[in-house]
Amino acid sequence: MSRRLTARDWYKDAVFYEVHVKAFMDGNGDGVGDFVGLTERLDYLAELGVDCLWVLPMYASPLRDDGYDIADFYAVHPAYGTLEEFQKFLDAAHARDLRVITDLVMNHTSDQHPWFQASRSDPTGPYADYYVWSGTNRRYADARVIFVDAEASNWTWDPRRNAYYLHRFFSHQPDLNYDNPAVRRRMLDVMRFWLDRGLDGFRCDAVPYLVEREGTSCENLPETHAVLKEFRAVIDREYGGDRVLLAEANQWPEDVRAYFGDGDEFHMAFHFPLMPRLYLALRLEERRPIVDIYTHTPPIPPACQWGLFLRNHDELTLEMVTNEERAFMYYAYAQDPEMKLNLGIRRRLAPLLDNDGRRIELLNSLLLTLPGSPIVYYGDEIGMGDNVYLGDRDGVRTPMQWSRDRNAGFSTAEEGQLYLPVIADPVYGYQAVNVAAQARQPASLLNTMKRLIAARRTSPVFGRGTIEFLRPRNQKVLACLRRYGRETVLIVANLSGAPQPAELDLGEFAGIRPVEILGGTVFPPIQVTPYLVSVGPHGFYWFRLERPGDADEPYGIESTAI
Amino acid sequence: MTDRLQAPAFPAEVERQLEGASPCEIALGVLTYNNATTVPTVVEVVRTGLERHFAGIPAVLINADAGSSDATPDLLAAAGLPLVRARHETPLAQRIAVPFHGVPGRGAALRLTFAVARRLGARALVLLEADVTSAGAEWLRHLLRPVLEQKADLVVPVYARHRYDGTLTNLVLAPLVRALFGRRLHQPLAGAAALSARLLDRLLDDPRWPAPGQNQTDLWIEATAIVDGFAVWEAWLGRRRAESRTRTADLPTMVAQAVGGLFAVMGRYDDLWLEIRGSEPVPATDAPVIPSVEPVALDVDRMVDAFRRGLRDLGAIWEHILAPETLGDVLSLDTASPARLAFPDELWARVVYDFALGYHYNVVYRDHLLRSLVPLYLGRTAAFVVATRDRDAGAAEAHLDAVGAAFERHKRYLVERWR
Repeated sequence: MSRRLTARDWYKDAVFYEVHVKAFMDGNGDGVGDFVGLTERLDYLAELGVDCLWVLPMYASPLRDDGYDIADFYAVHPAYGTLEEFQKFLDAAHARDLRVITDLVMNHTSDQHPWFQASRSDPTGPYADYYVWSGTNRRYADARVIFVDAEASNWTWDPRRNAYYLHRFFSHQPDLNYDNPAVRRRMLDVMRFWLDRGLDGFRCDAVPYLVEREGTSCENLPETHAVLKEFRAVIDREYGGDRVLLAEANQWPEDVRAYFGDGDEFHMAFHFPLMPRLYLALRLEERRPIVDIYTHTPPIPPACQWGLFLRNHDELTLEMVTNEERAFMYYAYAQDPEMKLNLGIRRRLAPLLDNDGRRIELLNSLLLTLPGSPIVYYGDEIGMGDNVYLGDRDGVRTPMQWSRDRNAGFSTAEEGQLYLPVIADPVYGYQAVNVAAQARQPASLLNTMKRLIAARRTSPVFGRGTIEFLRPRNQKVLACLRRYGRETVLIVANLSGAPQPAELDLGEFAGIRPVEILGGTVFPPIQVTPYLVSVGPHGFYWFRLERPGDADEPYGIESTAI
Repeated sequence: MTDRLQAPAFPAEVERQLEGASPCEIALGVLTYNNATTVPTVVEVVRTGLERHFAGIPAVLINADAGSSDATPDLLAAAGLPLVRARHETPLAQRIAVPFHGVPGRGAALRLTFAVARRLGARALVLLEADVTSAGAEWLRHLLRPVLEQKADLVVPVYARHRYDGTLTNLVLAPLVRALFGRRLHQPLAGAAALSARLLDRLLDDPRWPAPGQNQTDLWIEATAIVDGFAVWEAWLGRRRAESRTRTADLPTMVAQAVGGLFAVMGRYDDLWLEIRGSEPVPATDAPVIPSVEPVALDVDRMVDAFRRGLRDLGAIWEHILAPETLGDVLSLDTASPARLAFPDELWARVVYDFALGYHYNVVYRDHLLRSLVPLYLGRTAAFVVATRDRDAGAAEAHLDAVGAAFERHKRYLVERWR
């Protein structure tokens, strides 16, 4: 296993990469990506510099929700390969110092899962209480409907059992009943099965909804936290404490905070509200949305970490913004109604930013320098486009674009066999946007991403440091200090499309010559008076602030070293 | 053409002194450079040590001075012994920046001292450091008796130290000497020593006396003595406290000089070590002294910071020096939390061997190469402290023994790459 990131809290320094098996590389030419193909492309990921792969659901599933409807927790979906091929992939990843976590859907199963089939068929059998059944569809009336575009209710009538079953998501995804100890035991067994194979952890899907209670929103309940703490304790005890649990809890930070517990629940949780505010700040050309959300982000236990992302496999969710902000976001980023889905925008990073290289790099720079562990969505490192005319969220799940060869180098299958068509439009199509071409262009987005990730890896300050926003009068400039131990990094970002000056109050660093990390350029020394920087359109700086005297402090071994 | 050197022709001033000098059995060599504040201690050690342990045995004091501008040579006369004063040539650079051992031109000074001692017929020569203020009369006994009475040819001191003293010695020099020459010397650059007439003759007769200015002489003497089958001993002395206003205290300079000296010896005298396998402990005059473990002010966080800065800034240099696998393993070390930093012994051995090879093949300017070792040494030192600070002195000793064993085990790695 890797000697890099061997600390138990390795996830605090890691850069994650979210990848869908079906979308990355087709190893057997059937038009669907698989573990053989993913294994072939591990060197690409290692060269990109990421540390941990987050693999979207790869379990046996009818795929009515792209694998988030699991029909067998112990099997790999046949289209993606076999358990043996998964194991080879995992071992090959580890051999390249890459860790791997997979999605685990804890809240529900597919309605095809044998547990549900048994539960609906036999109301008195051993699986009868594995799901949440009711004679009425009026229980838990305060629980909101999440997929408002697809479902009218959280309950669906099952004619076989003659009862309603609860589903917080699609009606083919019945909620498991976590009040039943047998369910908790079975889910722990599922986790053990994969952790025993060497998996480094789970991204736990939809965790706020595990337990329901009447008269509540059925989200974030203490009983849900108790279940999650129980799982964490078992995993820590049995696997030595270096496996990571990442919570998907699409909530406000103060509500997500509870999922860290006292450092005894989840290691990581996504910072959902940050993502839309990054886009908002960019469109408004002012730093306020970013600074505000950090003002409202509570501190988390020392061993815990936020997961940051610009885009993922879902829509760019706008649940965590105000109605006014949402309206503005729709106006700014989704003028075509096809781009909207639920309370979000189903677009990839590059199209959201009009394929503007400067803005794409700026947002990636923020992703890599704000407090938390960044998560890169596959294809966004080369600026892949989307296809809003594909259904649901398929538009952002199209095949990875490796080259200008047939099917973007993703598969040797016939074009019509592909699980989804490759992006083929003139701007984002695979002939214009692909790995092979970008690898040959020193200034390509791919190579810029490699440089940014490599720079981030040079210091733990990015993953572990505190953040302190400076307040330059120019609102278009975001400036913050990240500090960890003796290291201090100054981040400056111009959120506007025009060059901007900013005067930064850096008096405490007077005498220091900032060193720009990405280029190694030494800047003029800081004085007690405000430090003037000029930043180009959507430009950014990562400065290292080192005191000249730092190297002169003794280690305590000098006088006796020999 | 031979590079065999003639026995040094003494400077006229020294020759004049020798012409009138009586033969001696014991010679006491003191190499000096502006040590007026501390030589009275040395004088006292010489006087009382001879009186107490070697009364009646003819002795002479030899002072090789590097051009002191204070009263150092005059103060040595207070010992009341016959004194031979010999000024020796000193490289200008070493007079401006005095090396870690405190004596500019130490090699030339040693050679001159050895030659004077043999000219006067000494059976044994003891070398004392002019700026060590903790020496006692017993030190003379511990160093000289094995030579005079037990047929030892080279006696090297082992000072009582704190477990975190001598980290460069313990983590680099001693493991390397152990692997190269097959003897587990605790402190190869201890400064003081005692030598037999036999060994002095052998050394003076050697045509490959080290070039001046490279800090190779002490290590070359030890290597020659070991490889030629001379009896090498260790003498356990007390604490060593040096009060020097001239020795460099700059860590990178120290590393460059000490490690560079050893690398230079490896290059010039590879016939002395390429064939050697395994190692043996060195006989000692007394029982070993357990290192002390009282808390000391070490800044492990700063060491790890320096290591991190090295990882960040020195990749371009290390790419030339370290083998790709070694570099990959170094870059993979987890430095996020100083409290958990670990530096595997096998990797450390490969790092030092790669640096030795880089020095040998001159892959980058040698001073840059040596100085770029410093962050790695600090990282390794931090890992040593982290691994042992909550444990007893025995654990630190065991840790260091494992480091030496790893160097020995992986010597093949070095030999196979050495041409």
